[in-house]
This record gives sequence, structure tokens and C-alpha cells, in this order.
Amino acid sequence: MLEFLIPNNVLCHAVEAMAFASLGCALLSVLITQMNIASIGFTMSHAAFAGGAVGSFFGYALIPSAVFVSILTAFLMGPLSDRTRMHTDTTLGVLFGTMMAVAIFFIALMQGTGKGFDASSLLYGNVISLYREEIYALALITLVIILFLIACYKEITAIVFHKRLAEIAGIKVKPVYYGILFLISIMVALSIPIVGGLLLYVWLVTPAAIAYQFCGTIRSMFIVAPVVAIIVSVIGAVWGILYSLPVGPLTAVLFSGLFIGAVAISPKRKVTFHKH
Amino acid sequence: MNRENEDIIQLQDVWTTYEGADLPVIKDVSLRIKPGEFVIIGGPNGAGKTTLLETIAGLLPIVSGSVQVCGHDVVREGCAARKKIGYVIQSFDFHPFTPFTVEEVVLMGRFGKIGWLKRHTRHDMEKVSAAISKLGLTLMQKNQIGKLSGGQQQKVLIAQNIAKEPEVLLLDEPFSNLDIITREEVSRLLCQIADAGIPVLIVSHAFDALPDRDIRVVVMQNGKITLNKLSPPSEVGNLVRSASVAA
Repeated sequence: MLEFLIPNNVLCHAVEAMAFASLGCALLSVLITQMNIASIGFTMSHAAFAGGAVGSFFGYALIPSAVFVSILTAFLMGPLSDRTRMHTDTTLGVLFGTMMAVAIFFIALMQGTGKGFDASSLLYGNVISLYREEIYALALITLVIILFLIACYKEITAIVFHKRLAEIAGIKVKPVYYGILFLISIMVALSIPIVGGLLLYVWLVTPAAIAYQFCGTIRSMFIVAPVVAIIVSVIGAVWGILYSLPVGPLTAVLFSGLFIGAVAISPKRKVTFHKH
Repeated sequence: MNRENEDIIQLQDVWTTYEGADLPVIKDVSLRIKPGEFVIIGGPNGAGKTTLLETIAGLLPIVSGSVQVCGHDVVREGCAARKKIGYVIQSFDFHPFTPFTVEEVVLMGRFGKIGWLKRHTRHDMEKVSAAISKLGLTLMQKNQIGKLSGGQQQKVLIAQNIAKEPEVLLLDEPFSNLDIITREEVSRLLCQIADAGIPVLIVSHAFDALPDRDIRVVVMQNGKITLNKLSPPSEVGNLVRSASVAA
């Protein structure tokens, strides 16, 4: 897509993948941080991990199996958090433990049968070995997220503000809430091959956390978070590939450094008063 | 048919419970409210006053009986009914940096009416501005809601429900965080709403700022209505106290 700008094919793919992943994740990070469901990141990462382990045990390819189980978990997430009558974060915690147990169980079985399981691509990701189809899938899900946010903006913001008040206003809360959880889950599943399950958390929380330091409204957070995420991720991809550094960890460190800087200069921490 | 004589709220032999609870909270309650009635719901703590409002708003499972609001069955047509019901909740706690302004929160009251996939119009914003102005919040309409005091936040939620232009208005302890002057202002505003034909149902323990008009007093005790009668405002406090003690 960006070959006309970046002739180097590997760098071009990496920049495209990082740009789409960071745009989608950053938009969702605003919802994740404001709805206090940050656990969805590691729950979905471990769903992918479990999927990879189960797929490998039965002789299927690692990444497709991981994505498949993540999508399956995404379908379960909304109804399950609703049925349990618990805070979504608690349900996510239970799912996280279950997925981890499934992964460990199948890894142990494979060790017993002499089969190998290399989970490094799931844990750490690899932005330079992506297929074009994977980048297209990322572009597609990012587009779906943008369209969903535009179409249901008022319903989403009302739910983020106060679920009960949204219900009282006459909004159908369930379908929108399930939609949010489902899109987060799909985005996580498709982003894992790029930055890995261990680092994905940074993309799902930090952009909104940085934007929050400067923004007073959710509308401005939806603009600042993706802009910051795309700039940092593209710099990380270019820097990492040109100087043979690991792209995922490098970008995560850049995000964290920027967050510390943002907190240090945030106007939200300033104490001002006018006597007159 | 004269609409003024139609019951806009009808509860018939209603039993309500909370999910997972062993015992019903509302027991065999029947209540009929006409347009323009000003209703004070009183009674001791835990009597079922808030539950009664949540039942009318269709927010709780109804074990038995029926609840009709504005011609909608609140169980089967809850969403449609809630678009016509204004409900100011009792407890709220907004983080100081909640990223929503007063204006945005008040506008949310109209979201159900605006409908799916549609954006708010100038008409919606006019309703929002009018509601903000009525509650004296104009100077702080661009402020974040979390930065306001508890009383100001309560006024924002009242403004949200006024901007909604409901056909029924339910308020749970709307005076609890307000000073006496603001109580009187809000009370006058609620009286104007009732005069316009919209029934106003208020759960309250404060009877010092009631409007000068006939008030229907509903007293609840152990999930049942123990008193339901019209009263002048000066008698409301005594009626609630005596009915609560007698029960």
C-alpha cells in the first residue's frame, strides 16, 4: 500500500502493519481505559497462546489456530460477562486463568509425546515476517472499528460514561457493549503476530493513558491517542529495522518513555489559583 | 376520551425482586398515576422506594403483575418505555477527570430519542441549552462533570432528564445534595413540569421545599404501599411520619 513512499519492501510492510495495528489499538485503548477493562488485553493474548498450543498439538499451523481460538473467545466474552453478573474485569480474570491452564496442559502433553512448541512468535511477535493478507486483515478490522465508532458514537460514549444512565436514556446497551468487547478481541487476535502477546498490552492501554494526560473530553482522546500511537509505532518500526533492533520491544519502550514524559508535563497535575 | 383522566403509570399486583435475592422487594403493589400528578414517595430506609422507581423504569425483573408506562409494558418494551421516562438516580460518583463535559452529559439524555445511527441536531442542542439554563449551569456547561460539587452534579443529572423531555419523570432523592435555596428552585421547576401534564414521582426524605399544590403521598413499608392519598404540601411530612410509624 505504501510502496510508493517506502521502496524497501520489508520496511514498508512493517510500517503498514504497525500503523494499522496502532491506529486500531489506540482507538480501542480509549474505550478500554475508560471502561476499566484493561485485563481484556492479557486475556486475549492468553487465548491466542492456548489456541496456538491446541493447534500445534493437533498438527495445525500456530498463528491461524491462535487467531481462531481468540475469535472464539471474543464471541464468548460479552454474553459470559453478562451472565456471570460480575464486573467484566473479574470475568476476564477467570477466562485468563482458564486459557493459561489450557495452554500449559497441551504444552505438557506435547512434551510427553516429544512434539515441539515454539511460542516465541506468539509471545514476542515478528513484524518483518508478516504476510500481505495479514496486513489486509489488520486494515479491514481497523476500518470496521472506525466505522463502528462513527456509527455508534453517541451510544458508545453514553455507555463509557455510565452504563446504567445509558440504559435509562433508552439506549440498547447490550448489543453495543458486546460489539465493543468483540472488536477489542478481534483486534488483539490480529495484532499478536506483530508485537506479540506480552507487549500488546502497551498498545491497548498506553496511547489512551498518554492522551488522557492532556485531554478533557473523550472526543479529543479519540483524536490524540491514535495520532500519538501511529507516530510512535512508525518511528519504532523504522528505527528498529534500520538499526536491526527488535521492533516490538523498542516501540513499547518508546511508548513508556513518552508516557512518563506526558505525566511529568501533564496540565492535570498543575495547581493554579487566581486571587482575583 | 380526555387524556387527563387516563392513567399514564399503571402498576397492577406487582411483585419485584433483585436477581439472586430470595425474597421479593416489592410485594403486591398496585398504583395508578395520572398526567400532571406530583407524587412524593416516602417511608423508612429499605422500604422499597428506590425499587419502586426502578420497577416503573423497567430496570428490574418483575416476578408477577404488570407495569404499564405511557402505554408500554416495561418488561416487553423496556427500551421504548425508557425513551419516555426520565429517571434521576440516587447514587453517582464521577471521577474528577471523567472526560465528559456538563453539556455532553446533558445531551446524553436525548440519545434514546435521537435513535440509532443518527446525530444530534440543532433542535437537540437547543433543548440541552434550555435545560442547562433552567438549572443555572450555563457558566459551567463546558466544565468536566467530575470537577463539579455533588450538588452541581445532581443538577446536571436533573438537567439531563429535563432535556430528554420525558412523559414521566422519576427522581430518587433529588434534594439530598442541594442547599435550601437550590431545593426551592428545583422544586419550582418540577412543579412547572407537573403543571405541563408530566407526572413527577419523587423519592424523598426532605419535605421543606415542596411546591404549593396538592401532592399525592405514597408511603411504603416492607415493600408494600401503606398510604396513598392526596394532601396539601404542609401535611406531607406529618403524613409520611405517621404512616411510617403506624405501619
